[in-house]
Amino acid sequence: MANIACFVEKYNFADSNEAMALQNFKIAAEKQGHEFDFLFRKNLREIPKYDAVFIRATTDPLYTAYIVSKTAWELGLKVVDDPKSIQICGNKIHLYSLFSKYDIPHIPTIFLNKDAFNHKRILEIFKVFGRPVVVKAPYTSFSRYVEKVACETSFREVAKRFFRKSDALTVQKFMPTAFDWRVGVLNDEVLYVCKYMVPKGRWKHGAKRRGKPSFIWGRTITLKRENAPTELKETALKACGVIGHGLYGVDIKEVDGNYVVVEVNDNPSIYARYEDLRNEDLYGKIIEYLVN
Amino acid sequence: MNINVQLVLNTTIAIPSIQSSGVTCVLVVSNIDLPTNLAIMKPSTFLETSIKDFTVNINNDYRYLKTGYYVSLHAEILGSPVIPSSENILDANRIPLLLLKASKAGIPTLPFLVTDSVKQVMSSFEFPVVVFAVNPFSYEGFEIAKNRSALYRAIKSLGRNYKFAVCVQPLLGEMFTFKSIFGRCKQAKSIEQISRKVYDVFEVPICKLHIQRIGKKVHLCGLQPLRKEELLAVDVEIISEEISQLSKNGDYLIG
Ligand SMILES: Nc1ncnc2c1ncn2[C@@H]1O[C@H](COP(=O)(O)OP(=O)(O)OP(=O)(O)O)[C@@H](O)[C@H]1O
Repeated sequence: MANIACFVEKYNFADSNEAMALQNFKIAAEKQGHEFDFLFRKNLREIPKYDAVFIRATTDPLYTAYIVSKTAWELGLKVVDDPKSIQICGNKIHLYSLFSKYDIPHIPTIFLNKDAFNHKRILEIFKVFGRPVVVKAPYTSFSRYVEKVACETSFREVAKRFFRKSDALTVQKFMPTAFDWRVGVLNDEVLYVCKYMVPKGRWKHGAKRRGKPSFIWGRTITLKRENAPTELKETALKACGVIGHGLYGVDIKEVDGNYVVVEVNDNPSIYARYEDLRNEDLYGKIIEYLVN
Repeated sequence: MNINVQLVLNTTIAIPSIQSSGVTCVLVVSNIDLPTNLAIMKPSTFLETSIKDFTVNINNDYRYLKTGYYVSLHAEILGSPVIPSSENILDANRIPLLLLKASKAGIPTLPFLVTDSVKQVMSSFEFPVVVFAVNPFSYEGFEIAKNRSALYRAIKSLGRNYKFAVCVQPLLGEMFTFKSIFGRCKQAKSIEQISRKVYDVFEVPICKLHIQRIGKKVHLCGLQPLRKEELLAVDVEIISEEISQLSKNGDYLIG
């Protein structure tokens, strides 16, 4: 029997489907004979009491979740998301650098440093990628800091905003698709597969912003993992392989029959009746992973 | 497909080879002008190259998302040993992790609490307390709270309106702040010891350390980046000395 702490913040319970998923984790843990407690910010001192920590609060090297993860790690507990995965997935520059280093097919990307941002560079980028291009702040999540720019003026305006927090940013070729594949991966195995549809007339799948009234969010179509294309699953596993062996959500675009990785997320959203729809065993599998 | 490479090729850069001891090169990337014979590369130049060498990253500000962080990350992606590592940059700048790793390494620290609740602090410690920001955005350092309303204000401002937690430690003696350069400082022996040990654990070449003196004992409380203008000519000299030393000694074999 193990004691599992699930680190959450209040917003994790704001959406009833997410709240239900959290409850499902608790039920799955108890079914396997484990204790499962929700751990909030004010109980961090209790971390050493547990055998494993499962983080569901939003992760970022700047957030409390990283402190929870690294503390658990230093104390020798099993932890999902582990600190290295948070560090890598929390920063697009880190992530795409690893993709290029290990030949993971990904959207053509360049990095731009604050000091190297000038007229010549902008023109060069437009020449290589065409227009528009997608500018991303390295720390973006929930699509918040991902913008499309087609001229130098808007490029400068967006870059100026993103450079406030980060001294570097990423620029990508614009590759719109009707949906993003989302492959859930745990410990080098596919856990679930869905399609996050892009709402008509838009190019981002939108975002469930925890605790905020959600803006337009494309439909989620869930597949049985057995029925998803093999090459898709292989691409997802390969991408996760350069990061770690924890729990990930891989976003993949299908362009002219090729699978191109958009990003690997640590801390992927798991909402009841969405990601779990045809893969109900995902709760039990994650718990098993946490205690083994 | 690999646009990165294309753009890099457009910028031709001379590769500095510093064959000091005749064995290995040390690449010094610095945003500070250093009076030394060693070739120094600017961070913006380094970030566009793929030079693989033992890299010493000199920067007054190593915080996450700042150029100082990206330089270490870039070196790591290239497969080069680098001082400091990106992981140490992250952890050294988050007070609870700084204190946890430091105390594991035998550096004296005080009990601390990560929280955003005034009530919880009051049930754990007596006033006065020292409050540090946990998000490493600010240069602000710490605030001392002597009573409930000061604590309330400190948690609110350092936590950016409760968005982030703060790290609270009891104030049992007096706070003292000094510059630490490659672990060196011109302070009393007990303080110097802490400074060296913190460098041994985190290898952050340039930083400010906050300690608390309680009687004769010294405890580590916090670490902060330096503003460029806080670096004096004497500090810059020490940095130059240290990097010459590093390249001479073959002291680069880390981790
Ligand atoms: N280069 C691109 N071309 C076209 N669409 C893109 C591109 N990059 C990202 N997108 C779309 O924008 C959305 C958000 O992108 P991305 O996943 O990179 O950012 P994010 O902030 O991490 O978002 P999330 O956390 O919601 O996944 C996704 O729907 C993605 O498919």
